[in-house]
Amino acid sequence: MNLYEKTASELSEMLRNKECSAVEIYNDVKSRIESVEDKVGAYVTLNDKALEQAESVDKDIADGNEIHRLAGIPIGIKDNISTKGLRTTCSSRMLENYIPPFDAFVMNKINSAKMVVTGKMNMDEFAMGSSTETSYMHLTRNPHNTECVPGGSSGGSASAIASGEAILTLGSDTGGSIRQPAALCGAVGMKPTYGSVSRYGLVAFASSLDQIGPMGKSVKDVAMLQSLICGHDKMDATSKNIEYPDYYANLKNNVKGLKIGVPKEYFGEGIDNEVKESVFNAINLMEKNGAVIKEISLPSTEYAINTYYIIASAEASSNLARFDGVKYGYRAENYDSLTDMYEKTRSEGFGDEVKRRIMLGTFVLSSGFYDAYYKKAKLVQRKISSEFSEAFKKCDVIATPTVPSSAFKIGENIGDPIKMYYNDVCTVTVNIAGLPAISVPCGFDSKNMPMGLQFIADKFAEQTLLDTAYAYEQLSGGFDVITKGF
Amino acid sequence: MNIDIKHIAKLSRLRIDDEKLEKFEKDMQAIVAMVDRLPDIEEQLTLDRENAMTLREDVAVPDKFTRNELIANAPEVQAGCLVVPKTVE
Repeated sequence: MNLYEKTASELSEMLRNKECSAVEIYNDVKSRIESVEDKVGAYVTLNDKALEQAESVDKDIADGNEIHRLAGIPIGIKDNISTKGLRTTCSSRMLENYIPPFDAFVMNKINSAKMVVTGKMNMDEFAMGSSTETSYMHLTRNPHNTECVPGGSSGGSASAIASGEAILTLGSDTGGSIRQPAALCGAVGMKPTYGSVSRYGLVAFASSLDQIGPMGKSVKDVAMLQSLICGHDKMDATSKNIEYPDYYANLKNNVKGLKIGVPKEYFGEGIDNEVKESVFNAINLMEKNGAVIKEISLPSTEYAINTYYIIASAEASSNLARFDGVKYGYRAENYDSLTDMYEKTRSEGFGDEVKRRIMLGTFVLSSGFYDAYYKKAKLVQRKISSEFSEAFKKCDVIATPTVPSSAFKIGENIGDPIKMYYNDVCTVTVNIAGLPAISVPCGFDSKNMPMGLQFIADKFAEQTLLDTAYAYEQLSGGFDVITKGF
Repeated sequence: MNIDIKHIAKLSRLRIDDEKLEKFEKDMQAIVAMVDRLPDIEEQLTLDRENAMTLREDVAVPDKFTRNELIANAPEVQAGCLVVPKTVE
Protein backbone atom coordinates (compact mmCIF):
# COMPACT_ATOMS: atom_id res chain seq x y z
CA MET A 1 0.00 0.00 0.00
CA ASN A 2 1.26 3.46 -0.89
CA LEU A 3 1.69 6.03 1.84
CA TYR A 4 -0.87 8.39 0.24
CA GLU A 5 -3.55 5.70 0.68
CA LYS A 6 -3.09 5.56 4.45
CA THR A 7 -5.04 7.49 7.04
CA ALA A 8 -3.51 10.26 9.15
CA SER A 9 -3.72 8.09 12.26
CA GLU A 10 -1.84 5.26 10.53
CA LEU A 11 0.84 7.63 9.23
CA SER A 12 1.15 9.26 12.65
CA GLU A 13 1.91 5.82 14.18
CA MET A 14 4.37 4.97 11.42
CA LEU A 15 6.25 8.23 11.93
CA ARG A 16 6.49 7.60 15.65
CA ASN A 17 7.72 4.03 15.08
CA LYS A 18 10.20 5.32 12.49
CA GLU A 19 8.66 3.11 9.78
CA CYS A 20 8.72 6.09 7.44
CA SER A 21 9.83 9.73 7.47
CA ALA A 22 7.80 12.90 7.00
CA VAL A 23 9.74 13.57 3.78
CA GLU A 24 8.78 10.11 2.46
CA ILE A 25 5.11 10.77 3.23
CA TYR A 26 5.21 14.18 1.56
CA ASN A 27 7.08 12.86 -1.49
CA ASP A 28 4.54 10.07 -1.93
CA VAL A 29 1.63 12.52 -1.80
CA LYS A 30 3.54 14.90 -4.10
CA SER A 31 4.11 12.19 -6.71
CA ARG A 32 0.43 11.25 -6.46
CA ILE A 33 -0.44 14.91 -7.14
CA GLU A 34 1.91 14.88 -10.13
CA SER A 35 0.30 11.79 -11.59
CA VAL A 36 -3.42 12.56 -11.13
CA GLU A 37 -3.84 16.32 -10.68
CA ASP A 38 -4.36 16.99 -14.40
CA LYS A 39 -7.42 14.69 -14.25
CA VAL A 40 -8.78 16.00 -10.92
CA GLY A 41 -7.88 19.69 -10.63
CA ALA A 42 -8.15 19.80 -6.85
CA TYR A 43 -5.48 22.45 -6.27
CA VAL A 44 -5.33 26.16 -7.04
CA THR A 45 -1.80 26.66 -5.67
CA LEU A 46 0.88 24.23 -4.49
CA ASN A 47 2.99 25.19 -1.48
CA ASP A 48 6.68 25.33 -2.40
CA LYS A 49 7.64 25.33 1.30
CA ALA A 50 6.06 21.91 1.95
CA LEU A 51 9.27 19.89 1.60
CA GLU A 52 11.04 22.21 4.06
CA GLN A 53 8.20 21.71 6.54
CA ALA A 54 8.51 17.91 6.21
CA GLU A 55 12.29 18.07 6.65
CA SER A 56 11.86 20.08 9.81
CA VAL A 57 9.61 17.36 11.29
CA ASP A 58 12.21 14.70 10.45
CA LYS A 59 14.86 16.79 12.17
CA ASP A 60 12.69 17.02 15.29
CA ILE A 61 12.30 13.25 15.29
CA ALA A 62 16.05 12.73 14.77
CA ASP A 63 16.81 15.15 17.62
CA GLY A 64 14.46 13.23 19.88
CA ASN A 65 12.05 16.17 20.26
CA GLU A 66 8.45 15.57 21.24
CA ILE A 67 6.23 15.91 18.14
CA HIS A 68 2.50 16.58 17.80
CA ARG A 69 0.47 13.57 16.65
CA LEU A 70 -0.36 15.45 13.43
CA ALA A 71 3.22 16.58 12.77
CA GLY A 72 4.36 15.67 9.27
CA ILE A 73 0.84 14.86 8.02
CA PRO A 74 0.14 16.48 4.61
CA ILE A 75 -2.88 18.76 4.64
CA GLY A 76 -4.58 20.79 1.88
CA ILE A 77 -6.26 24.08 2.81
CA LYS A 78 -9.39 25.46 1.17
CA ASP A 79 -8.48 28.61 -0.72
CA ASN A 80 -10.65 30.91 1.40
CA ILE A 81 -8.50 30.35 4.51
CA SER A 82 -5.75 32.95 4.87
CA THR A 83 -2.24 31.53 4.66
CA LYS A 84 0.55 34.03 5.31
CA GLY A 85 2.75 34.38 2.23
CA LEU A 86 0.75 31.77 0.28
CA ARG A 87 -1.74 33.03 -2.32
CA THR A 88 -5.37 32.88 -1.17
CA THR A 89 -7.75 33.43 -4.09
CA CYS A 90 -11.23 32.24 -2.98
CA SER A 91 -11.14 30.92 -6.57
CA SER A 92 -12.07 34.43 -7.70
CA ARG A 93 -10.56 36.82 -10.21
CA MET A 94 -11.06 39.41 -7.47
CA LEU A 95 -8.33 37.80 -5.32
CA GLU A 96 -6.31 36.09 -8.05
CA ASN A 97 -3.04 37.67 -6.85
CA TYR A 98 -3.86 38.20 -3.17
CA ILE A 99 -1.15 37.11 -0.72
CA PRO A 100 -2.35 37.37 2.90
CA PRO A 101 -0.06 39.19 5.33
CA PHE A 102 -1.35 37.01 8.18
CA ASP A 103 -2.34 33.46 9.07
CA ALA A 104 -5.87 32.40 9.98
CA PHE A 105 -6.33 31.09 13.55
CA VAL A 106 -6.58 27.53 12.19
CA MET A 107 -3.31 28.00 10.27
CA ASN A 108 -1.53 29.01 13.47
CA LYS A 109 -2.74 25.74 14.98
CA ILE A 110 -1.71 23.72 11.92
CA ASN A 111 1.70 25.36 11.75
CA SER A 112 2.37 24.92 15.44
CA ALA A 113 1.54 21.21 15.12
CA LYS A 114 3.99 21.17 12.17
CA MET A 115 1.60 19.69 9.69
CA VAL A 116 2.84 19.82 6.08
CA VAL A 117 0.72 22.21 4.01
CA THR A 118 0.54 20.78 0.47
CA GLY A 119 -1.32 23.74 -1.02
CA LYS A 120 -4.61 25.55 -1.52
CA MET A 121 -7.74 23.77 -2.69
CA ASN A 122 -10.12 24.80 -5.44
CA MET A 123 -13.65 25.88 -4.48
CA ASP A 124 -16.73 27.60 -5.79
CA GLU A 125 -16.01 31.32 -6.07
CA PHE A 126 -16.24 32.81 -2.55
CA ALA A 127 -17.77 29.45 -1.46
CA MET A 128 -20.96 30.19 -3.40
CA GLY A 129 -21.99 27.00 -5.14
CA SER A 130 -22.48 23.26 -4.76
CA SER A 131 -20.32 21.91 -7.58
CA THR A 132 -17.02 23.89 -7.70
CA GLU A 133 -18.09 24.91 -11.21
CA THR A 134 -18.26 28.60 -10.26
CA SER A 135 -14.49 28.64 -9.61
CA TYR A 136 -12.75 31.28 -11.73
CA MET A 137 -9.64 29.05 -11.79
CA HIS A 138 -10.61 25.73 -13.34
CA LEU A 139 -12.98 22.79 -12.96
CA THR A 140 -12.48 20.18 -10.28
CA ARG A 141 -13.61 16.66 -11.18
CA ASN A 142 -14.99 13.86 -9.03
CA PRO A 143 -12.30 11.16 -8.73
CA HIS A 144 -15.03 8.46 -8.83
CA ASN A 145 -16.14 9.64 -12.28
CA THR A 146 -14.33 12.56 -13.85
CA GLU A 147 -17.42 13.53 -15.85
CA CYS A 148 -19.15 14.36 -12.56
CA VAL A 149 -18.78 17.30 -10.18
CA PRO A 150 -17.04 16.78 -6.82
CA GLY A 151 -19.73 18.85 -5.09
CA GLY A 152 -19.00 22.16 -3.47
CA SER A 153 -18.11 24.56 -2.39
CA SER A 154 -15.16 22.67 -0.83
CA GLY A 155 -14.86 20.51 -3.98
CA GLY A 156 -11.06 20.64 -4.15
CA SER A 157 -10.76 19.62 -0.49
CA ALA A 158 -13.09 16.62 -0.95
CA SER A 159 -11.73 15.40 -4.27
CA ALA A 160 -8.14 15.53 -2.96
CA ILE A 161 -9.11 13.15 -0.14
CA ALA A 162 -10.67 10.68 -2.61
CA SER A 163 -7.82 10.94 -5.12
CA GLY A 164 -5.07 10.65 -2.49
CA GLU A 165 -3.68 14.12 -3.24
CA ALA A 166 -3.81 15.06 0.45
CA ILE A 167 -4.14 13.04 3.66
CA LEU A 168 -6.35 15.61 5.38
CA THR A 169 -7.96 18.84 4.20
CA LEU A 170 -9.76 21.82 5.64
CA GLY A 171 -13.00 23.05 4.14
CA SER A 172 -15.58 25.62 5.15
CA ASP A 173 -19.30 25.03 5.47
CA THR A 174 -21.96 27.76 5.23
CA GLY A 175 -24.88 25.63 3.98
CA GLY A 176 -23.30 22.21 3.41
CA SER A 177 -20.02 23.08 1.71
CA ILE A 178 -18.00 20.48 3.64
CA ARG A 179 -20.61 17.73 4.01
CA GLN A 180 -22.07 17.79 0.49
CA PRO A 181 -18.72 17.41 -1.38
CA ALA A 182 -17.54 14.87 1.22
CA ALA A 183 -20.67 12.82 0.45
CA LEU A 184 -20.29 13.13 -3.32
CA CYS A 185 -16.60 12.14 -3.20
CA GLY A 186 -17.04 9.36 -0.60
CA ALA A 187 -15.02 11.10 2.11
CA VAL A 188 -15.70 11.99 5.74
CA GLY A 189 -16.39 15.68 6.41
CA MET A 190 -17.54 17.50 9.52
CA LYS A 191 -19.12 20.90 10.07
CA PRO A 192 -18.39 21.82 13.71
CA THR A 193 -20.73 23.74 16.03
CA TYR A 194 -20.87 27.45 15.20
CA GLY A 195 -18.38 29.13 17.52
CA SER A 196 -16.12 26.12 18.10
CA VAL A 197 -13.57 26.89 15.37
CA SER A 198 -12.41 30.50 15.00
CA ARG A 199 -13.35 32.24 11.77
CA TYR A 200 -10.40 34.63 12.09
CA GLY A 201 -8.73 34.58 8.68
CA LEU A 202 -11.60 32.80 6.90
CA VAL A 203 -12.72 35.06 4.05
CA ALA A 204 -16.30 35.86 5.10
CA PHE A 205 -19.30 34.70 3.06
CA ALA A 206 -22.16 34.62 5.63
CA SER A 207 -20.55 35.29 8.99
CA SER A 208 -23.39 33.93 11.15
CA LEU A 209 -23.34 30.58 9.30
CA ASP A 210 -19.70 30.05 8.17
CA GLN A 211 -17.61 27.45 9.96
CA ILE A 212 -14.26 25.84 9.12
CA GLY A 213 -14.10 22.05 9.46
CA PRO A 214 -12.03 18.93 8.76
CA MET A 215 -12.17 16.34 5.97
CA GLY A 216 -10.42 12.98 5.82
CA LYS A 217 -10.59 9.26 5.09
CA SER A 218 -11.86 8.16 8.50
CA VAL A 219 -13.78 9.41 11.51
CA LYS A 220 -10.62 9.07 13.61
CA ASP A 221 -8.75 11.37 11.24
CA VAL A 222 -11.50 13.96 11.30
CA ALA A 223 -11.62 13.78 15.13
CA MET A 224 -7.86 14.24 15.26
CA LEU A 225 -7.95 17.37 13.08
CA GLN A 226 -11.00 18.81 14.85
CA SER A 227 -9.24 18.45 18.21
CA LEU A 228 -6.40 20.55 16.78
CA ILE A 229 -8.39 23.38 15.17
CA CYS A 230 -11.13 24.01 17.76
CA GLY A 231 -10.74 26.36 20.70
CA HIS A 232 -11.42 29.86 21.88
CA ASP A 233 -9.97 32.81 19.99
CA LYS A 234 -10.44 36.41 21.09
CA MET A 235 -10.06 37.53 17.47
CA ASP A 236 -13.46 36.02 16.64
CA ALA A 237 -16.27 37.67 18.63
CA THR A 238 -18.47 34.58 18.14
CA SER A 239 -15.84 32.10 19.35
CA LYS A 240 -17.13 30.19 22.37
CA ASN A 241 -14.90 30.24 25.44
CA ILE A 242 -15.39 26.73 26.86
CA GLU A 243 -13.24 23.66 27.49
CA TYR A 244 -12.96 21.56 24.33
CA PRO A 245 -12.32 17.85 24.89
CA ASP A 246 -9.72 15.80 23.03
CA TYR A 247 -12.24 14.16 20.68
CA TYR A 248 -9.65 11.82 19.22
CA ALA A 249 -8.37 10.48 22.55
CA ASN A 250 -11.95 10.08 23.85
CA LEU A 251 -13.33 8.43 20.71
CA LYS A 252 -15.39 5.36 21.55
CA ASN A 253 -17.59 2.94 19.68
CA ASN A 254 -20.71 3.68 21.59
CA VAL A 255 -23.84 2.35 19.90
CA LYS A 256 -25.66 0.45 22.69
CA GLY A 257 -28.61 2.53 23.89
CA LEU A 258 -27.74 5.42 21.55
CA LYS A 259 -30.97 7.22 20.65
CA ILE A 260 -31.03 8.06 16.94
CA GLY A 261 -33.75 10.41 15.74
CA VAL A 262 -35.00 9.95 12.18
CA PRO A 263 -36.88 13.02 10.89
CA LYS A 264 -39.44 12.08 8.27
CA GLU A 265 -39.07 15.46 6.51
CA TYR A 266 -35.61 14.43 5.27
CA PHE A 267 -36.86 11.35 3.45
CA GLY A 268 -39.59 12.88 1.32
CA GLU A 269 -39.98 13.78 -2.32
CA GLY A 270 -36.82 14.79 -4.10
CA ILE A 271 -34.60 12.33 -2.24
CA ASP A 272 -33.42 9.47 -4.50
CA ASN A 273 -34.73 6.05 -3.56
CA GLU A 274 -31.25 4.60 -3.62
CA VAL A 275 -30.09 7.26 -1.17
CA LYS A 276 -33.06 6.64 1.15
CA GLU A 277 -32.43 2.91 1.04
CA SER A 278 -28.73 3.16 1.87
CA VAL A 279 -29.37 5.60 4.74
CA PHE A 280 -32.08 3.28 6.16
CA ASN A 281 -29.70 0.32 5.80
CA ALA A 282 -27.16 2.21 7.89
CA ILE A 283 -29.77 3.11 10.51
CA ASN A 284 -30.99 -0.51 10.65
CA LEU A 285 -27.43 -1.74 11.08
CA MET A 286 -27.04 0.53 14.08
CA GLU A 287 -30.39 -0.56 15.49
CA LYS A 288 -29.37 -4.22 15.21
CA ASN A 289 -26.32 -3.40 17.28
CA GLY A 290 -28.19 -1.75 20.12
CA ALA A 291 -29.18 1.76 18.97
CA VAL A 292 -32.73 2.91 19.66
CA ILE A 293 -34.48 4.49 16.67
CA LYS A 294 -36.99 7.28 17.27
CA GLU A 295 -39.14 8.82 14.60
CA ILE A 296 -39.08 12.59 15.03
CA SER A 297 -40.49 15.57 13.20
CA LEU A 298 -38.80 18.85 12.23
CA PRO A 299 -41.78 20.53 10.52
CA SER A 300 -40.08 23.79 9.51
CA THR A 301 -37.54 21.93 7.37
CA GLU A 302 -39.63 22.80 4.31
CA TYR A 303 -38.69 26.48 4.76
CA ALA A 304 -34.98 25.83 5.32
CA ILE A 305 -33.69 26.49 1.80
CA ASN A 306 -35.66 29.73 1.54
CA THR A 307 -34.51 30.91 4.95
CA TYR A 308 -30.93 29.99 4.15
CA TYR A 309 -30.72 31.80 0.83
CA ILE A 310 -32.19 34.97 2.34
CA ILE A 311 -29.89 35.08 5.37
CA ALA A 312 -26.74 33.90 3.58
CA SER A 313 -27.18 36.28 0.64
CA ALA A 314 -28.01 39.22 2.89
CA GLU A 315 -24.80 38.70 4.83
CA ALA A 316 -22.82 38.09 1.64
CA SER A 317 -23.98 41.35 0.09
CA SER A 318 -22.63 43.18 3.11
CA ASN A 319 -19.42 41.13 3.50
CA LEU A 320 -18.47 41.40 -0.17
CA ALA A 321 -18.86 45.18 -0.16
CA ARG A 322 -15.22 45.31 0.97
CA PHE A 323 -14.06 44.31 -2.52
CA ASP A 324 -13.84 47.78 -3.97
CA GLY A 325 -10.54 47.75 -5.86
CA VAL A 326 -8.84 50.08 -3.38
CA LYS A 327 -7.09 48.22 -0.55
CA TYR A 328 -6.33 44.84 -2.14
CA GLY A 329 -7.50 42.59 -4.93
CA TYR A 330 -8.48 43.27 -8.51
CA ARG A 331 -9.00 46.77 -9.92
CA ALA A 332 -10.46 47.52 -13.36
CA GLU A 333 -8.17 49.35 -15.75
CA ASN A 334 -10.18 52.19 -17.23
CA TYR A 335 -12.62 54.28 -15.21
CA ASP A 336 -13.62 57.91 -15.02
CA SER A 337 -14.84 58.26 -11.40
CA LEU A 338 -14.85 56.49 -8.06
CA THR A 339 -18.28 54.93 -8.65
CA ASP A 340 -17.27 53.91 -12.15
CA MET A 341 -14.18 52.22 -10.68
CA TYR A 342 -16.25 50.37 -8.05
CA GLU A 343 -18.76 49.14 -10.61
CA LYS A 344 -16.24 48.07 -13.23
CA THR A 345 -13.95 46.46 -10.66
CA ARG A 346 -16.76 44.44 -9.09
CA SER A 347 -18.40 43.53 -12.40
CA GLU A 348 -15.13 42.25 -13.86
CA GLY A 349 -13.83 40.75 -10.60
CA PHE A 350 -16.89 38.69 -9.58
CA GLY A 351 -18.47 35.80 -11.48
CA ASP A 352 -22.20 35.49 -12.21
CA GLU A 353 -23.15 33.39 -9.17
CA VAL A 354 -21.45 35.81 -6.79
CA LYS A 355 -23.24 38.71 -8.50
CA ARG A 356 -26.56 36.86 -8.20
CA ARG A 357 -26.11 36.33 -4.45
CA ILE A 358 -24.96 39.90 -3.81
CA MET A 359 -28.00 41.18 -5.69
CA LEU A 360 -30.39 38.80 -3.90
CA GLY A 361 -28.92 39.99 -0.59
CA THR A 362 -29.22 43.63 -1.60
CA PHE A 363 -32.82 43.02 -2.64
CA VAL A 364 -33.94 41.28 0.58
CA LEU A 365 -32.34 44.02 2.68
CA SER A 366 -33.62 46.90 0.56
CA SER A 367 -36.18 49.43 1.70
CA GLY A 368 -39.70 48.04 1.54
CA PHE A 369 -38.62 44.38 1.38
CA TYR A 370 -36.65 43.93 4.61
CA ASP A 371 -39.69 42.94 6.73
CA ALA A 372 -41.07 40.56 4.12
CA TYR A 373 -37.81 38.70 3.60
CA TYR A 374 -34.92 39.19 5.98
CA LYS A 375 -36.90 39.70 9.18
CA LYS A 376 -39.22 36.81 8.35
CA ALA A 377 -36.26 34.55 7.62
CA LYS A 378 -34.64 35.42 10.96
CA LEU A 379 -37.88 34.43 12.74
CA VAL A 380 -38.03 31.13 10.84
CA GLN A 381 -34.38 30.56 11.75
CA ARG A 382 -35.34 30.75 15.42
CA LYS A 383 -38.19 28.30 14.84
CA ILE A 384 -35.91 25.81 13.09
CA SER A 385 -33.43 26.08 15.99
CA SER A 386 -36.10 25.50 18.62
CA GLU A 387 -37.44 22.45 16.76
CA PHE A 388 -33.95 20.94 16.88
CA SER A 389 -33.67 21.75 20.63
CA GLU A 390 -36.97 19.94 21.20
CA ALA A 391 -35.78 16.97 19.13
CA PHE A 392 -32.58 16.66 21.15
CA LYS A 393 -34.66 16.14 24.29
CA LYS A 394 -35.75 12.84 22.73
CA CYS A 395 -32.59 11.67 20.96
CA ASP A 396 -28.78 11.92 21.10
CA VAL A 397 -28.20 12.30 17.37
CA ILE A 398 -30.26 12.70 14.21
CA ALA A 399 -29.61 10.67 11.05
CA THR A 400 -30.48 11.91 7.54
CA PRO A 401 -29.14 11.70 4.00
CA THR A 402 -26.39 14.29 3.33
CA VAL A 403 -27.39 14.95 -0.28
CA PRO A 404 -30.57 14.01 -2.20
CA SER A 405 -28.61 12.07 -4.85
CA SER A 406 -25.09 11.11 -5.88
CA ALA A 407 -22.83 13.42 -7.92
CA PHE A 408 -24.36 14.97 -11.03
CA LYS A 409 -22.64 15.58 -14.35
CA ILE A 410 -20.50 18.66 -14.93
CA GLY A 411 -22.68 21.25 -16.67
CA GLU A 412 -25.95 19.51 -15.73
CA ASN A 413 -27.19 22.07 -13.17
CA ILE A 414 -25.00 25.12 -13.64
CA GLY A 415 -27.54 26.96 -15.82
CA ASP A 416 -30.37 26.49 -13.30
CA PRO A 417 -29.59 28.16 -9.94
CA ILE A 418 -32.68 26.77 -8.19
CA LYS A 419 -31.88 23.17 -9.10
CA MET A 420 -28.37 23.77 -7.81
CA TYR A 421 -29.65 25.32 -4.56
CA TYR A 422 -31.77 22.24 -3.79
CA ASN A 423 -28.57 20.22 -3.43
CA ASP A 424 -28.27 21.80 0.01
CA VAL A 425 -31.75 20.78 1.14
CA CYS A 426 -30.52 18.28 3.78
CA THR A 427 -27.58 20.33 5.03
CA VAL A 428 -28.66 23.98 5.42
CA THR A 429 -30.79 23.44 8.54
CA VAL A 430 -27.64 22.55 10.47
CA ASN A 431 -26.02 25.91 9.66
CA ILE A 432 -29.26 27.77 10.33
CA ALA A 433 -29.34 26.23 13.83
CA GLY A 434 -25.56 26.42 14.42
CA LEU A 435 -25.28 22.67 15.07
CA PRO A 436 -22.46 20.21 14.41
CA ALA A 437 -22.94 17.53 11.73
CA ILE A 438 -20.82 14.96 9.93
CA SER A 439 -21.16 13.18 6.59
CA VAL A 440 -19.85 9.64 6.27
CA PRO A 441 -19.93 7.36 3.19
CA CYS A 442 -22.83 4.88 3.21
CA GLY A 443 -22.31 2.91 0.03
CA PHE A 444 -22.42 3.32 -3.74
CA ASP A 445 -25.45 3.70 -5.98
CA SER A 446 -26.17 1.89 -9.25
CA LYS A 447 -23.97 4.40 -11.10
CA ASN A 448 -21.17 3.32 -8.76
CA MET A 449 -21.04 6.78 -7.16
CA PRO A 450 -20.74 7.33 -3.39
CA MET A 451 -23.66 8.42 -1.21
CA GLY A 452 -23.53 10.17 2.16
CA LEU A 453 -25.14 9.63 5.55
CA GLN A 454 -25.40 12.68 7.79
CA PHE A 455 -25.44 12.65 11.58
CA ILE A 456 -26.46 15.83 13.41
CA ALA A 457 -25.87 16.48 17.13
CA ASP A 458 -26.76 19.18 19.63
CA LYS A 459 -24.54 22.26 20.01
CA PHE A 460 -21.01 21.43 21.20
CA ALA A 461 -21.85 17.70 21.29
CA GLU A 462 -19.06 16.90 18.81
CA GLN A 463 -17.95 13.97 20.97
CA THR A 464 -21.37 12.28 20.68
CA LEU A 465 -21.40 13.07 16.96
CA LEU A 466 -17.95 11.62 16.33
CA ASP A 467 -18.60 8.59 18.56
CA THR A 468 -21.76 7.86 16.56
CA ALA A 469 -20.00 8.21 13.21
CA TYR A 470 -17.13 6.07 14.52
CA ALA A 471 -19.57 3.38 15.63
CA TYR A 472 -21.14 3.32 12.17
CA GLU A 473 -17.71 3.18 10.54
CA GLN A 474 -16.77 0.15 12.65
CA LEU A 475 -20.08 -1.62 12.02
CA SER A 476 -19.91 -1.02 8.28
CA GLY A 477 -16.43 -2.49 8.11
CA GLY A 478 -14.60 0.81 7.45
CA PHE A 479 -14.56 3.26 4.56
CA ASP A 480 -12.70 2.60 1.34
CA VAL A 481 -12.13 6.20 0.33
CA ILE A 482 -9.32 6.24 -2.24
CA THR A 483 -10.64 5.75 -5.78
CA LYS A 484 -9.20 2.92 -7.74
CA GLY A 485 -8.62 3.13 -11.44
CA PHE A 486 -6.36 6.16 -11.74
CA MET B 1 -42.89 39.98 -8.85
CA ASN B 2 -40.99 42.20 -11.26
CA ILE B 3 -37.41 42.72 -10.17
CA ASP B 4 -35.62 45.79 -11.46
CA ILE B 5 -32.22 44.18 -11.99
CA LYS B 6 -30.57 47.39 -13.15
CA HIS B 7 -31.63 49.16 -9.95
CA ILE B 8 -30.54 46.30 -7.67
CA ALA B 9 -27.23 46.10 -9.56
CA LYS B 10 -26.71 49.81 -9.07
CA LEU B 11 -27.34 49.49 -5.30
CA SER B 12 -24.83 46.61 -5.26
CA ARG B 13 -22.23 48.59 -7.25
CA LEU B 14 -22.42 46.01 -10.03
CA ARG B 15 -23.16 46.23 -13.72
CA ILE B 16 -24.85 43.49 -15.70
CA ASP B 17 -23.97 43.26 -19.40
CA ASP B 18 -26.93 43.83 -21.70
CA GLU B 19 -26.72 40.36 -23.23
CA LYS B 20 -26.90 38.76 -19.75
CA LEU B 21 -29.66 41.00 -18.44
CA GLU B 22 -32.55 38.79 -19.51
CA LYS B 23 -31.09 35.64 -17.92
CA PHE B 24 -30.30 37.49 -14.68
CA GLU B 25 -33.83 38.86 -14.58
CA LYS B 26 -35.40 35.46 -15.18
CA ASP B 27 -33.17 33.70 -12.60
CA MET B 28 -33.68 36.39 -9.99
CA GLN B 29 -37.44 36.28 -10.41
CA ALA B 30 -37.42 32.52 -9.95
CA ILE B 31 -35.16 32.78 -6.88
CA VAL B 32 -37.27 35.50 -5.28
CA ALA B 33 -40.41 33.46 -5.98
CA MET B 34 -38.71 30.51 -4.26
CA VAL B 35 -37.58 32.39 -1.13
CA ASP B 36 -40.91 34.22 -0.95
CA ARG B 37 -42.60 31.17 0.54
CA LEU B 38 -42.14 31.68 4.29
CA PRO B 39 -44.67 31.34 7.12
CA ASP B 40 -45.88 34.35 9.09
CA ILE B 41 -44.60 34.15 12.64
CA GLU B 42 -46.22 36.53 15.09
CA GLU B 43 -43.19 37.12 17.25
CA GLN B 44 -40.68 39.87 17.80
CA LEU B 45 -37.04 39.51 16.88
CA THR B 46 -35.01 39.68 20.07
CA LEU B 47 -31.30 39.51 20.75
CA ASP B 48 -29.87 36.05 21.29
CA ARG B 49 -28.50 36.56 24.80
CA GLU B 50 -27.37 32.96 25.14
CA ASN B 51 -24.93 33.40 22.30
CA ALA B 52 -23.91 36.99 22.79
CA MET B 53 -20.74 38.11 21.08
CA THR B 54 -17.63 38.83 23.10
CA LEU B 55 -15.88 41.93 21.83
CA ARG B 56 -12.21 42.63 22.46
CA GLU B 57 -11.14 45.65 24.43
CA ASP B 58 -10.48 48.54 22.13
CA VAL B 59 -6.72 48.80 22.57
CA ALA B 60 -4.10 49.42 19.91
CA VAL B 61 -1.77 46.48 19.21
CA PRO B 62 1.63 47.85 18.20
CA ASP B 63 3.50 46.56 15.15
CA LYS B 64 1.08 43.80 14.19
CA PHE B 65 1.67 44.58 10.53
CA THR B 66 4.14 46.88 8.84
CA ARG B 67 2.86 49.53 6.45
CA ASN B 68 4.58 47.75 3.57
CA GLU B 69 2.90 44.43 4.40
CA LEU B 70 -0.50 46.09 4.38
CA ILE B 71 -0.10 47.91 1.08
CA ALA B 72 1.67 45.04 -0.69
CA ASN B 73 -1.65 43.80 -2.10
CA ALA B 74 -3.00 47.21 -3.11
CA PRO B 75 -3.72 47.66 -6.83
CA GLU B 76 -2.07 51.09 -6.98
CA VAL B 77 0.31 52.73 -4.53
CA GLN B 78 2.24 55.99 -4.69
CA ALA B 79 4.67 57.20 -2.03
CA GLY B 80 3.34 54.66 0.46
CA CYS B 81 -0.30 55.69 -0.05
CA LEU B 82 -3.24 54.00 -1.78
CA VAL B 83 -4.21 55.72 -5.03
CA VAL B 84 -7.92 56.34 -5.68
CA PRO B 85 -9.73 58.37 -8.35
CA LYS B 86 -10.24 62.03 -7.61
CA THR B 87 -13.31 62.47 -5.38
CA VAL B 88 -13.12 66.17 -4.49
CA GLU B 89 -13.17 68.88 -7.15
